[in-house]
Amino acid sequence: MKVSAALPTGVAALFFDSARRHRELEDKLVGQLRESGFSEVILPVVDYLEPYEAMLSGSVARDELYRFVDRDGEVLALRADFTPMLARLIAPRLAALELPLHLFYRGDVLRYQEEHAGRLRETYQLGAEVLGLPGEDGERLALERFLELLATGERRRLMVVLGFAGALDRLLLERAGDVAPKGSKRNVDASALAAAVMRRERSAVRRAGDALLQVVEHGVPDDPGELGAEAAARLERLEALARELAEAFPQVDLRLDLAEFADQTLARGLASGAGPRTYYDGLVFRAFAGAAAEPVGGGGRYDAMFQRLGAGVTASGFSLSLDRLMGREGGWEIRRECAR
Amino acid sequence: MIRLALPKGRNLGVALDAFRAAGVALEGLELKDRRLRIEFPEDDLEVLLLKDWDLPLYVEYGIADCGVVGSDVLEEVDGDLLIPARFREGQCRLSLIGREGGLPGAGEQVRLASKYPLTARKLLADRPWGAEVLKLNGSVELGPLLDLAEVALDIVQTGQTLRDNGLVELETVRAVQPCLVVNRSAYQLHRAELNRWIDRFEAAEVVE
Repeated sequence: MKVSAALPTGVAALFFDSARRHRELEDKLVGQLRESGFSEVILPVVDYLEPYEAMLSGSVARDELYRFVDRDGEVLALRADFTPMLARLIAPRLAALELPLHLFYRGDVLRYQEEHAGRLRETYQLGAEVLGLPGEDGERLALERFLELLATGERRRLMVVLGFAGALDRLLLERAGDVAPKGSKRNVDASALAAAVMRRERSAVRRAGDALLQVVEHGVPDDPGELGAEAAARLERLEALARELAEAFPQVDLRLDLAEFADQTLARGLASGAGPRTYYDGLVFRAFAGAAAEPVGGGGRYDAMFQRLGAGVTASGFSLSLDRLMGREGGWEIRRECAR
Repeated sequence: MIRLALPKGRNLGVALDAFRAAGVALEGLELKDRRLRIEFPEDDLEVLLLKDWDLPLYVEYGIADCGVVGSDVLEEVDGDLLIPARFREGQCRLSLIGREGGLPGAGEQVRLASKYPLTARKLLADRPWGAEVLKLNGSVELGPLLDLAEVALDIVQTGQTLRDNGLVELETVRAVQPCLVVNRSAYQLHRAELNRWIDRFEAAEVVE
């Protein structure tokens, strides 16, 4: 019998040197996390669709989930994102645990994607979460660990873009009315404006005023006060953090760009508009390696997810795609001393 | 140096005119150019000449930093690209075409021929009629002309080809225009230079 060696679209098998390099990189990154005091959590690859699906809101679209009915009639889903699964499992146990918690995980996530070269349906992730550090300390720690892990490899170009959720909410809501067609709902148009900002569509954004156009062109408005007092103060603190971390991690190109995260909104009117939004509600960051447009990882703060679960705890985390880090487009080459 | 991907098809002339109007000479580059990769040191630019359908992938992968491609192709390939400018010239329309009076009625099930199967399926999602989508790679007008399909979804520029073959534009679906597309990572790196280009495009009134 002739057996085909073909695999389904969007999945890959690693053999020989690829497998060895993958495990070496994973071991190196895991070793660093352990040295930093992070403990491993091993999570299942299958969960009940409810309540998992509701908690995925924004990070994974409904039609990206692999769902199936088990033999006993339960509707299950394959793991598409570690963070909501970890949050749901740990929130009821938090009262009995000593905070802060430093946790990490690794494994496959599966998301259905339309066939498109380079888009994997199964990716291997390594991620970490910091729970219960006060104020913005957790965000900072998560970002520092993220940068440390990224800086492990040698690559041609490594860039991390920083922003924060809700940064553009005030501008988007205020200005959307100026460009909305008569009779249309203001919140829907604010979402469309957010999408135009993310695509850096200057002609569409120009009608909404100078401040948003400056965000599209330069990443931040000339006058941070345009964002509102709270967001302006947040931006100032983020700029200070970026300067500090740029010195500590010279191999990483750190940039502030609020347009990159225009969909990370906290405003209800905006959140109900078109398109997914992620669950972040504080710092957000995204890393690009080499020239590829697809990020190799990212993270941020997501306190609200725990609040929804009845746990008042600060939470920040990140994940890295090992497949993308190892990919040719990422240009990742593990250090020689580590490869031996 | 920025690596710019230009389309070999109908949008190359639009792109060349726009860049030249913006002061980027691209000296010696012609519409019938058979070279695939050309350096322009004086413009600090390298140009790749690519097929329309391949161009978004080259930009998304970062092989090219940016490119010019039609919004019809962008919608069909569903990539993650920034679109900082849309060109005024080269506009056409994506339309349903067929024989006079051939727009299907409510509840009808027909065959629809197109180079844009993904776009066609999205279009059908809110139509009162249904269709089996047939993917064709060229001369889509032949579909309704030879009864392979009742309707076709294709680009219409002047409508002359339709008239010459006894077909009509049944419905304009949307306007199509060439766009400047940029890789998300490259935009961060070359932001200043790209913004200067767009400023000059705007000054020359070649973009919206």
